[in-house]
Amino acid sequence: MNTIIQNILVFTAMILAVSFLIKKFFWKKSKSKKACGGDGGCGCH
Amino acid sequence: MSKQINVALIGNPNTGKTSVFNALTGLNQKVGNYPGITVEKKEGICKLPRGIKAHIIDLPGTYSLNASSLDENVVIELLLNKNDKDFPDVAVVVSDVENLKRNLLLFTQIKDLEIPTLLVINMADRMSYKGISLNIDYLEKHLETKIALISTRKNEGIENLKNLITNFKELPVTPCIDASKIDKDYFDNLRKAFPNQLLYKLWLVITQDVNFGKTDRNEIEAVANFKTKSKGDLKRLQQKETIKRYQFINNVLKKGQTIDITQAKDLRTKLDRILTHKIWGYIIFFIILLVIFQAIYDWSSVPMDFIDNVFASLSEWVKNMLPNGAFTNLLAEGIIPGLGGIIIFIPQIAFLFLFIAVLEESGYMSRVVFLMDRVMRRFGLSGKSVVPLISGTACAIPAIMATRNIENWKERLITILVTPFTTCSARLPVYLIIISLVIPEGHIFILSYQALTLMLLYLIGFGSAVSSAYILNKILKIKSKTFFVVEMPNYKLPMFKNVALTVIEKTKSFVFGAGKIILAISIVLWFLASYGPGEQFNNAETIVKLEYASQNIDEEDLQQKIASHKLEYSFIGLTGRAIEPVIRPLGYDWKIGIALISSFAAREVFVGTLATIYSVGSDEEETIKNRMASEINPILGGPLFTFASGISLLLFYAFAMQCMSTLAIVKKETNSWKWPILQLVIMTVFAYIVALIAFQFLK
Repeated sequence: MNTIIQNILVFTAMILAVSFLIKKFFWKKSKSKKACGGDGGCGCH
Repeated sequence: MSKQINVALIGNPNTGKTSVFNALTGLNQKVGNYPGITVEKKEGICKLPRGIKAHIIDLPGTYSLNASSLDENVVIELLLNKNDKDFPDVAVVVSDVENLKRNLLLFTQIKDLEIPTLLVINMADRMSYKGISLNIDYLEKHLETKIALISTRKNEGIENLKNLITNFKELPVTPCIDASKIDKDYFDNLRKAFPNQLLYKLWLVITQDVNFGKTDRNEIEAVANFKTKSKGDLKRLQQKETIKRYQFINNVLKKGQTIDITQAKDLRTKLDRILTHKIWGYIIFFIILLVIFQAIYDWSSVPMDFIDNVFASLSEWVKNMLPNGAFTNLLAEGIIPGLGGIIIFIPQIAFLFLFIAVLEESGYMSRVVFLMDRVMRRFGLSGKSVVPLISGTACAIPAIMATRNIENWKERLITILVTPFTTCSARLPVYLIIISLVIPEGHIFILSYQALTLMLLYLIGFGSAVSSAYILNKILKIKSKTFFVVEMPNYKLPMFKNVALTVIEKTKSFVFGAGKIILAISIVLWFLASYGPGEQFNNAETIVKLEYASQNIDEEDLQQKIASHKLEYSFIGLTGRAIEPVIRPLGYDWKIGIALISSFAAREVFVGTLATIYSVGSDEEETIKNRMASEINPILGGPLFTFASGISLLLFYAFAMQCMSTLAIVKKETNSWKWPILQLVIMTVFAYIVALIAFQFLK
């Protein structure tokens, strides 16, 4: 039981991480006028 | 019956215009708004000799009659509209004795509108401190005006000013510049089209983007539509006009004003004389850099060791406290070491930005810009390129965006292309961990080898930027000319609040911006390192046991060999081994190869990636640095991170374009894929060659 739950958590974390990275680098965002360092961030780090 | 005249007080910002207004009007003043806009309108009454009353308007500060803001529109619109009830009988241009040259640009423009114009030179009490002397008769003769030399601080010269305003009708209205000299053909056509209008007024209407709310629209629109030249050509003519004005001003000031810097006595001048000196200026700047890098190392070592140990203990605690399984391993070997790889650099990043903020706040950074302009010009850049290059030490993205204030396209393009060479804060974690592994801890005098290496890397970054600018300046065939103007602020003690806010904001941006990506990449990397395809991965335990069945090795060693075998045949191991032939000549193994690839998302991911890869399968409580130090070179034996491979890696990161977001912003700013692709290919190939030479030479 413990193994199944742990595996589900791992795969969920993996899917979330990959989705986040795809959204961050490949998803076309609407243009933001915010400068680097603000809430919007520049995405450089 | 007393007569009332309109007087407009006009001047650059910070010339003491409002002090002159207060001195003239005393308590007889009121503050309101210009109709329809939120620009403050200050007006007052001043009693002049011979029973004349002056209605004085304190107009918003403006540098020229080329409007770029709502405030400046107010000034231009009033001066262009003779029907306005506030149209001045006399314009009083207030200037500051320390910035007379710049202030006279506005004076010549107003005078060319053929409005009686008086020149007030304020802050006369500063003349002796600054070593300035003025030949007032000469200036009055050549500027064809009357001059009031005043000091509002000491209340000197105000009565003389009132007398001059009273006699405004004696002021000549001859223009300083003949407008038709800007472009004879164009102005001849303009004069023919509008024979009853003043030429310079027509020119201002055509070139301004002004909302003429109060002026007669039909007349203005007819003129504004007279554009036989393109927008670009008109801009060039405007620049030509400014050059002609400054030529005129320079000629007048050559004999009308003397500045003897050796006679200047104020602290600012004394400091400027040293800090912008052509030899001492550079030496002092170099010493300040040395102090900064030494302090970054010395002051942050204690908190860094503390953070490193906390994360190592946290991984161990999670492993012991949570039930065994894949998710516990993900936390202990993936997420925690990955995050530790970024948190550990907070002290050093904070100290770097603390120093940068102090230098900016104190006013020293503007002196650096001025100082470096002399150097930059030799490399085809202007002083304005220094700002992006300095802000590039934080991040190339805002630095590239900061190039927008460089008017000249060639200089802007070169600055965009070379800025990624400057050492950004994302390179700092990579440099710091590699330096601590391969550079010994000794000292030369009080400076440690490690601090000197870090400073050398910053200088290499800056040196590469300017030398590639020099090459690009020779290669790119774009003809253009530009001018550099920088205003030196007064020196001041940095405000604690401003410095603290800068440090907090920059550190927060670094940690949270990078933190999310590193967390996600750590999860993906751990997954790829913990799972794999085929028999070699799935049956690793059986294969290793069979392989070592005849040898007498203890259980701990056996488990280590199984973990190592699994990692080698995991998804990440297979990928890393596929690229290993390309990076092996640089002294790197496949694990570093994986870190190189993942750090293309953001350079600092390099440390987090290695921390994650080296943690997988390891049960020991170890710091990131210790794990990296104990890594063995699979081919040559001995430590993987040697002086040769470390220097090779440092140089690779110094030159390579390892940043996806920078490429995206270069594409956006140049509006073409051509430049970012060229940048990526050239920088990566160059980095590879330099790293290859370094490793092969040093190994």
